[in-house]
Amino acid sequence: MPKSFRNIFSLNDPGWGRGGGDSKPPPKGDGPPDLDELWRDFNRKLNGMFKRRPGGPGGPSGPGGGIVEPPSMKGAGIGLGVIGVAGLLLWMGSGFYIVPEGHQSAVLRFGEFKQLVDRAGITWRMPYPIESHEIVNAQQLRQIEVGYRNTVRNKTLREALMLTTDQSIVDLQFALQFRIGDARAFLFNNNFGVGPEETVRQAAETAMREVVGRRTIDQVLYEEKEQVAKDVRGMAQGILDRYQSGITLVDVTVQQAQPPDQVQDAFEDANKAAQDRERQINEGQAYANDILPKARGTAARLGEEAEGYKQRVIATAEGDASRFSQIHAEYAKAPRVTRDRMYIDAMQHVFSNVSKVYVDTQGGVNLLSLPLDRLLQQGGVRSDAGRMTSAPSAGLPAGSEAGSANPAPVSRTDGLRNRDRDAR
Amino acid sequence: MNKLIPILVSVIVALGVLLSSIFVVDQRQFAVVYTLGEIRNVIDRPGLHFKWPPPFQNVVYYDKRILTLDTTDVDRFITSEKLNLQVDTFIKWQIIEPKAFIRSVQGSQVIASDRISRSLRDALNNEIAKRTVSEIISGDRSKLMGDVRRKIDEDSQQIGVRIVDVGLKRVDFAPEVSSRVFDRMQSERKRVANERRATGAAESDKIRADAEKQREVILAEAYRDAQRVKGEGDARAAAIFAEAFGRNPEFADFYRSLEAYRSTFRDRSDVMVVDPSASFFRHLREPMSPEKR
Repeated sequence: MPKSFRNIFSLNDPGWGRGGGDSKPPPKGDGPPDLDELWRDFNRKLNGMFKRRPGGPGGPSGPGGGIVEPPSMKGAGIGLGVIGVAGLLLWMGSGFYIVPEGHQSAVLRFGEFKQLVDRAGITWRMPYPIESHEIVNAQQLRQIEVGYRNTVRNKTLREALMLTTDQSIVDLQFALQFRIGDARAFLFNNNFGVGPEETVRQAAETAMREVVGRRTIDQVLYEEKEQVAKDVRGMAQGILDRYQSGITLVDVTVQQAQPPDQVQDAFEDANKAAQDRERQINEGQAYANDILPKARGTAARLGEEAEGYKQRVIATAEGDASRFSQIHAEYAKAPRVTRDRMYIDAMQHVFSNVSKVYVDTQGGVNLLSLPLDRLLQQGGVRSDAGRMTSAPSAGLPAGSEAGSANPAPVSRTDGLRNRDRDAR
Repeated sequence: MNKLIPILVSVIVALGVLLSSIFVVDQRQFAVVYTLGEIRNVIDRPGLHFKWPPPFQNVVYYDKRILTLDTTDVDRFITSEKLNLQVDTFIKWQIIEPKAFIRSVQGSQVIASDRISRSLRDALNNEIAKRTVSEIISGDRSKLMGDVRRKIDEDSQQIGVRIVDVGLKRVDFAPEVSSRVFDRMQSERKRVANERRATGAAESDKIRADAEKQREVILAEAYRDAQRVKGEGDARAAAIFAEAFGRNPEFADFYRSLEAYRSTFRDRSDVMVVDPSASFFRHLREPMSPEKR
């Protein structure tokens, strides 16, 4: 009795070494226990009962009895034969089971792996106790989160904080997706205890810490985020392969990489400083973009002005030269007459415009004291204020000269016109 | 019918004996067969096997798969530079010698785990004390784990266990060191921030200065070019004048002088004190005189 009990105990033990549960269903597979499983369990229990009281006469009454009965039935009545055949059929029928879509089932004959069935639908294996099967959900993507649970805000700091190579601490949340790539390896090589998640988590944490430990905090936070995830995937997969776990990592994503809360402000400030630097540089650039085009404009204006000046000076010179040449041609024909005429014209123009004092200095001594300053002043006033006031005061010290000053009170434009006429 | 019952009973008894002498070894298990309490046989091949029925022979099964030992508590270790580190590890192990396993730890995983974690702590202590923090965190990690694994593995062979892997899940500073790390990180960031602001200002100044320099250069060059162009104009004008006036310098002089008189004396504010002897007034003086010149 203790032996068979122990036997069952070690066969079905879900958590080895944890003591406790004696008749729990086997831990194989990961879905809810299917009908077949229950049926087998039931069979086994009946079997056990039957074994324990071998002398019992009511052996072949239940369906469980069929398991042990058929080969030993000999010389029994026809009724017993029918029961035996029915039992045999039932027994054979217990070998049918269903593989759901996306699942795989491993068939074991006397505990030894025989084959993997990966097509969905109804399948038959030899009935218990010859063969058994285990179903593995191979297609399902499972996800585990490291450093947080459910949402990124719900951090588990123990997992999230890790050291970088420059001995800073980063706060990192990441998620892994995996599936069972090799059902055979998955079933037989590792005792996952509560499930494969824990093993994946261990591998991922180890890998992440090693990957982060080889980088500086700036690389982890800013420069090489992508590469970190890639490296972690490779390394964690390597670890899982070392255990021949049959687990395939599909994806590793870094959900969040931050400096720890304690130093968040300082990092923010450093980021702001980077923005400030950009801003300052942009401002400098803006200044440059402001003054340089202006300077170029000024330069262009200077150039144009110079060009204009040049054209003007040359044109003026050409004009003046041409005028002179023409006069000179005429002059050459009659030098004296032309010369005198020109002289007198010019003098007329000059004297008609200026204030004059006609004094014979040769004859007498300089008795005459001229109020030159007043004359000058008057001239200035006259030219400034107008001719009407100047007319009566024209003949001040030298009244006789008033007449000669008479042509003066013509308007200035007239004078100009006169000059023009003269020039012509 | 009376005959049938004893036959049935004997058949059932025989069947029971037969069944209890057949046992199945799973792919995932070792089976250890005891004969009257003594280990007789270790079966690691899965399939159907036979033994004597109890109480002559018993079978006990052991897990053949890789098992996990994950200590929930975090251990503290001291590095070669006397810094406190918190290390969280896990171990993957496997029973390879059921006989030794049964003899040394009574076949109990709990006892085995205990023993393994003790030697793990020992090995970690030794290995971490040899290394600096940076060696543990960065490059040397896999070597550290390898060394630790080898050490525990040696020890574990006595209990029939193979250490598949030692994983270093967490390596963190102890809390009191952490706060200093945070301080350092903060000051480091401050340095970075200041540097960034300073370089920003410098960069900006440089751009401004460069722009100003360019402006000066542009303006100076423009002035130079303008002067050159003006000079060209002046030179050309001078040449034109020289060409024209050169034909009769004396007349040119006279002509230019007259022009100049005209433009200099043209305002009433210009006062001229004239003497009758000027040739302009010669007729004013003596209207009938013949020409002198």
